[in-house]
Amino acid sequence: MATNQEHRLSEDGYRNLWKWDKVTWGCHAVDCYPGGCPWRVYSKDGKVVREEQASIFHTIEPGVPDMNPMGCQKGASWSQQHYNEERVLYPMKRVGKRGEGKWQRVSWDTACNDIADAILDAVQEQGPASLYHIGTPGEGGTQQILWSNFSAQLGFQVTDLQAEINDFSPGIYTTFGKFDPAPGADDFFHTELVLIWHANPVYTNITWYHFMQEARYNGGEVVTIAPDFSPSAVHADYHIPIDIGTDAAFANAMSQVVIAEGLVDWDFIKKQTDLPLLVRVDTQRFLRASDVSGGAADQFYWLDAKTGKVVEAPKGTLNPGAIDPAIDGFAHMTLANGSTVKVRPVYALLRDMLNAQYTPEKVQAVCGVHPDTIRTLARKIAKKRTRIMMGWNSGKYYHGDLMERAMMLILGLTGNWGKHGTGARSWAVGLNDGMYSVLLKSQAGSEMTLATRAMHDATIQSMMEADPTLTDELAHYEFERSIMQMIGMMTPPAFFWYHHCGYREIWNRPGYNDPEMKRSFDDYFKEACDKGWWTGIAERAAQTEPRFLIEVGGNLLRRQRGGARQLLEHLWPKLKMIVSVDWRINTTGLYSDYILPAAQHYEKMNQPYSSPMHMHVLLIEKAAEPPGEARSEWQIIQGLAKALEARAKARGVQPWPRKSGEPVPLDNLWNWITKNGDLADDVKLIDEIFRDSAILGTIPADTTLASMRKQGAVRAVGWGNSSMMVCQQSPIEPNKTHTPWRNHVEGLKPYPTLVRRAQFYIDHDWYLEAGEELPVHKDNPHHGGEFPLRLTSGHPRWSIHSMNHTSSVMLGTHRGYPVMYMNPDDMEARGLKNDDEARVFNDLSDIRIRVRRSPGTKPGQVVIYNGYEPFQFKDWKGPENVEPGMVKWLHFAGGYGHLQYRGLHWQPIPIDRAVHVDVAKGSVAEGRTITGEDLAHSLLTSTNHANP
Amino acid sequence: MGRQMAMVFDLNKCIGCQTCSVACKVLWTNQEGKRDMWWCTVNTQPGRGSPRDYEKMGGGYDAKGKLVLGQLPSPEEFGGASQFNWSQVHQSGGNGQRQHLQPTKGEPSWAMNWDEDEGAGEYPNAYFFYMPRICNFCSKPSCVEACPNAAMYRRDDFGVVLRDEKKCKATQQCAQACPYKKIYFDAVTSTSQHCIGCFPRLEKGVAPACVRQCPGRAMFVGFRDDHAGAIHKLVERYKVALPLHSEWNTEPNVFYVPPLSAFVVRPDGTIDESQRRIPLSYLESLFGADVGAALQTLEAEMAKRKRGQPSEVIDTLIAYQWTELLGPFDRDPATIQW
Repeated sequence: MATNQEHRLSEDGYRNLWKWDKVTWGCHAVDCYPGGCPWRVYSKDGKVVREEQASIFHTIEPGVPDMNPMGCQKGASWSQQHYNEERVLYPMKRVGKRGEGKWQRVSWDTACNDIADAILDAVQEQGPASLYHIGTPGEGGTQQILWSNFSAQLGFQVTDLQAEINDFSPGIYTTFGKFDPAPGADDFFHTELVLIWHANPVYTNITWYHFMQEARYNGGEVVTIAPDFSPSAVHADYHIPIDIGTDAAFANAMSQVVIAEGLVDWDFIKKQTDLPLLVRVDTQRFLRASDVSGGAADQFYWLDAKTGKVVEAPKGTLNPGAIDPAIDGFAHMTLANGSTVKVRPVYALLRDMLNAQYTPEKVQAVCGVHPDTIRTLARKIAKKRTRIMMGWNSGKYYHGDLMERAMMLILGLTGNWGKHGTGARSWAVGLNDGMYSVLLKSQAGSEMTLATRAMHDATIQSMMEADPTLTDELAHYEFERSIMQMIGMMTPPAFFWYHHCGYREIWNRPGYNDPEMKRSFDDYFKEACDKGWWTGIAERAAQTEPRFLIEVGGNLLRRQRGGARQLLEHLWPKLKMIVSVDWRINTTGLYSDYILPAAQHYEKMNQPYSSPMHMHVLLIEKAAEPPGEARSEWQIIQGLAKALEARAKARGVQPWPRKSGEPVPLDNLWNWITKNGDLADDVKLIDEIFRDSAILGTIPADTTLASMRKQGAVRAVGWGNSSMMVCQQSPIEPNKTHTPWRNHVEGLKPYPTLVRRAQFYIDHDWYLEAGEELPVHKDNPHHGGEFPLRLTSGHPRWSIHSMNHTSSVMLGTHRGYPVMYMNPDDMEARGLKNDDEARVFNDLSDIRIRVRRSPGTKPGQVVIYNGYEPFQFKDWKGPENVEPGMVKWLHFAGGYGHLQYRGLHWQPIPIDRAVHVDVAKGSVAEGRTITGEDLAHSLLTSTNHANP
Repeated sequence: MGRQMAMVFDLNKCIGCQTCSVACKVLWTNQEGKRDMWWCTVNTQPGRGSPRDYEKMGGGYDAKGKLVLGQLPSPEEFGGASQFNWSQVHQSGGNGQRQHLQPTKGEPSWAMNWDEDEGAGEYPNAYFFYMPRICNFCSKPSCVEACPNAAMYRRDDFGVVLRDEKKCKATQQCAQACPYKKIYFDAVTSTSQHCIGCFPRLEKGVAPACVRQCPGRAMFVGFRDDHAGAIHKLVERYKVALPLHSEWNTEPNVFYVPPLSAFVVRPDGTIDESQRRIPLSYLESLFGADVGAALQTLEAEMAKRKRGQPSEVIDTLIAYQWTELLGPFDRDPATIQW
């Protein structure tokens, strides 16, 4: 054998490749969950060379695996995206027509002055409501939040990112008054039965999928419920090949089995749910104190099984005390008006419905699952610690709210939440309250932080004193709602889409909606506006034409359901200026008037979003200077603020009122946002945020930037006051995995719903009219038109949204171009062979894509994972073009307890799953009509749009 | 006597994310001449693999121990593309949507993960799984014997097989002899190339990048003779990790825990809990006749955990502490000062 010495020269070539002169903390402040993976960034000669997971997380609970090495393939190659060809290095101004691809490099001064002028023009012509900042999680963390706040403070309409991205779970929200339980990733190790349902964690939860496999090794079982043999069925024991969009029926059949076989957790449903509450048989409404005695409309009743008396269900606790709430039977109740009505518990109504419509035998015809399988799974759920590993797939179905309500019902009947290893799963960010306090306080330093906190605490306290039944959670949500309204931090974009983006026509297409709708979409829309359910939001969008739009790290033309087809035709002509701020040129950038170069993740000081899923707050250090003239968002904002000051002064523009009514401090903008310059520097800002978070109690008291530079990450010690953390309602214990909602289950603390319990019965007018007062199954409407195939999708493996799809490294990990999965039988029927280019078409558009032979795809289904850049497709037409972008009319409902707008929560959300399409080989599909998108393209190439 | 570094890849934990491939790419093959090569690849199985149909290309040793020079995979069979028409898309100068993003050298007909998630079977009984492949650090490396220039050598300290690039004369006979077809060619330096086992990291006590960066915690590294280590337990003691294509006779030192899969759905829609979807014969074609016994051991040990009984093999596979996967190579590279 040869000696090492003999080959030293050859070996040294490799040794030298693995050397560096600087190590810093890194992370990617992007919107993935849990995200916030700690990385070490290795630099050499002033450039980032590579990164590697830091793997510094300690075991939280003895006997449960640790979370290392958190970080996926996108993270492991992010350094390469710092120097890719897609990078934008200088401010770029469009000089040709929009989308034409002619650019001119300009100075930062020119760019900021032009943009400032466009903002002032828009305000002078239409008012500040004509300014749009599209809300996205972007590429941001702290740097992103700063910009949303800046825009809001200038009076922009900052659209609610939840509706923009639709990572909402409307059915979880309907049931619990919150949608965001985010268990610790390690809590999955406690799960005995993992139901991967409306999620594909093998693609989307790469960093912590291992906990599910480790739970399986440890004696647990994994079940994947999906129409296709999804990549997340690879490591499942059971794959349930359910028919597309029939999940509510399937879940209800399991609930029927649990009830029929006596497997219900009675104690749990009596305390935790509305199932014992009484409903009037005559009106189908809850029996309320307003009926009985002229009392409160939100005081509800149950029947005491011991005495047979109808008594008030307490609002301030879930503890029934001496009462034994009946879950069956009926009573007669004399009302204040002297009439007598029959009342029954919700449970009785539910059971009757399930027995009548949802026996496994009946449901088999709907969902294609054998009754034996339904029964087997129902029994397992009843006996095992069960968690539904959900993503945000269900919420993107037209009737996704019903699916989720039915999924929560089977968990509720079996006592499966608020206990380790159980429950549902969603996303939540917070734990770094300094991110918000630096925005709210008027000057730097701890005194203002303490004063802000004192004001907050006093308000919460007085609210709770005014209504002793109010929980601190409810008080927090109310408080946050009023603050957000005052700042104008978010606005639901549905009204913007309706009035300005051409959706009114699409949303009114009868065939695209639920055929059971009693009235037209517009009829409901008008009623929602007239009743004031969206006061301050609906009118603002209706009365003002959009003129200015900015995307910071977002990619509207990729993400918007309806895509370029919808926006280029309807919105773009109204806009005088479109600005894309990004480190790369995305499709939206290509159709913009300005592209401003932002610093990449390792080129600026930042903090990623923190999540209860790993409970750590992280630091991102600046490892290297940005190439070209790229700057951190915070520095770009400051340049823009100075330009606005100067241009307003030069033009004599008067300050306009912000949402709060106060005038925008136009003559002092930079001082105002930087706290008189104290926080102008990125380093000072980040330090201040850590110090504030320490003061506010979310991270240890001695945390500063200096301490974070030593340790990189710190485990949270308190939830703080952000609503998604308050939502968790569990203690943070140093040696225990995090399970949400233990305070409800262990502490019997009420839920933030109208009835203060998990609410499966919604007696809102519209829900009764729709027949959706209980979780029922409804067929998916034929949105897209009468076509035989249904297009489903999901987040891709290779990209966070569209950010990484075009990374030079990521393009090499697979084919490097968009593909569609299709069942071999469906391919054969259309004369398609593996790798053929196919056309996917429906009423709205047609796109071209390569087709892949996939035995795991259900006949009748086609799958295109999303996130591809439209410019990866011929004619830049991605699958968003065939999506109508429907919303479900019921989500405009309001004026009902928790069914009212709250930032990131209840609002209409776009639908893109199970769109009806057909697929044909090669050439243009026969009978295709000219679409709006064809018009948009001809418009773009024939007219010269509003040159700035 | 030298020591043999070995690895175990747990196919029940591998999720096909290619973080291993990417970690390797960014560290070792991110230069001109190497951009299209992936020393580490993960493929959907059943599938044609990387390079395409590599299992049919030959190499290794025959039953009598004679070296076999198989086929040299062509660049087209490796496939892939690393250069794209960015300037045409971004600064089309008036072409707008007429240019979409494409490889500059034309669309490839294969790539390292070309048949991703296609798999086999018939709906609803479709199936597939993911399998990472790197150099096998063979104890009988046919590439070493095949090299006419004595450029190939096996290091005593770790058992990694390397190439002295000063001596390499680009005959590519190593690539012909490697039955796993894990040897590539760098036309810029005119040398063959393959996974180096991250020996510079091993020398510093740091695990190879693929192993240390695997978020699925699917990869184990250690010395084969370390009886307390995970490798020995999984390979020798419990025999739940098996070599790939041992019939090629190179004595590979990468071992695989075979995949379980979902139960079969019967034609009437009921589920048959006695049968898993991946045919045993297919697994035997990869991992040999012992794979059935390995799967039985896994199922039996998992059943013990279901009953609340202890299981050393399951504890080893779970690896409660991440560092258990790294064996003796558990040093944090950030602590190294150059």
